[in-house]
Amino acid sequence: MLEYIISKYNFWIYVILMMIGLYAMMGKRNFVKKLIGMNIFQSAIILFFVSTGVKAGATVPILSGHGHGHGHELIEVAKYINPLPHVLMLTAIVVSIATTGVALAVLILIYRRYNTLEEDEILKIRKDTGV
Amino acid sequence: MIWQLDLILLLFVLICAIGALTVKDLLGAVIILGAYSFFMCILWTEMGAVDVAFTEAAVGAGIGTVLFIAAVSKTKRRSKD
Amino acid sequence: MKVIALIAALMTGALLIYGTEEMPDWGDPNSPASSHVSPKYIQEATEKTATPNIVTAVLADYRSYDTMGEVVVVFTAGIGCILMLRKKRKGEGD
Repeated sequence: MLEYIISKYNFWIYVILMMIGLYAMMGKRNFVKKLIGMNIFQSAIILFFVSTGVKAGATVPILSGHGHGHGHELIEVAKYINPLPHVLMLTAIVVSIATTGVALAVLILIYRRYNTLEEDEILKIRKDTGV
Repeated sequence: MIWQLDLILLLFVLICAIGALTVKDLLGAVIILGAYSFFMCILWTEMGAVDVAFTEAAVGAGIGTVLFIAAVSKTKRRSKD
Repeated sequence: MKVIALIAALMTGALLIYGTEEMPDWGDPNSPASSHVSPKYIQEATEKTATPNIVTAVLADYRSYDTMGEVVVVFTAGIGCILMLRKKRKGEGD
C-alpha cells in the first residue's frame, strides 16, 4: 500500500494543483486572480509532462566524456533522463509567458474602459448602459 | 530523486498556489506567484530537468512577475475576492 | 456560480485521479515515454550534432523549426501588446 502511494502521489498532487488553477479560472471574479489561476494551471501541466521523463537513478541529460571522435561506444540509455519532454516544455514555458503578456494588455484595456477589474461590476455596467 | 524532498517541495508549491489565490492584495498575490515559480524551479532541478529549471527561473519567475507587477501598478491593487 | 465552479473542478480532478491508475510508476525507467523514441536521441545526438547537452541538441538541431515558430509566437505577442497599449493620437479611433 505504501509503495503504491509513493509511486503515485506525485500525479495526485499535480491533479490537485490543476484543480486549484481550474477553480480560480472559473470561480474567482477578479481578472488578475483568473490570470494567476491560468498560470498555476499551465505550470501544473508542464510539471506533469516533465515528470514523465524522470528515471530513477539517472542523471541530467548532459553527456560527458562522449565527445566527437570516438563515437562508437554505446551510451547506456538508463543512465540519462529522457530529454524529449524537457525540450517540448521549454517551448511551452515561453508560449505561456507570451499568452500572459497579451492577457495583461487586454486587462489594462478593460480597466481603461470600465475603471474596474471585477467581473460582476463590469457585467452590471454593461447591463445598465445597454451595450 | 529523493521522494521525501520531492514531497516537501510539492507541499510548498501547493501552499504558495493557495496563498496566491486567497490574498486580497493583488501585489502580494503576484509576489507569492513569483515564489511559486521559484519553488517550481527547485522542483525541476531536483527532477533533473536543469534546462527547464533555468528557463522557468528567467522567463517564468522573472519576466512573468515583472509583467504582472506592471499591470497591477497600471490598474487597481485591491481585489474583492 | 462559485459552487458550480467548485463542483466542476472537483469532478475534473476526480476523473484525472481515476486516470492516474493506468499511469506507469513515477521514475520507472521502462515507462512508455522513455522506451520508444528517446533512446535513439540519447545514443545518437552527441555523435551527430557534436553537442554534449542533449536538450540543446534536440531544441536547436533536430527541432529548430519548432524554435523558429516559437520566435514567431513571441513576436506576434509583442506586436499585439504594442498595438493594444499605444497612446492614441487625437482624432484616431475611439
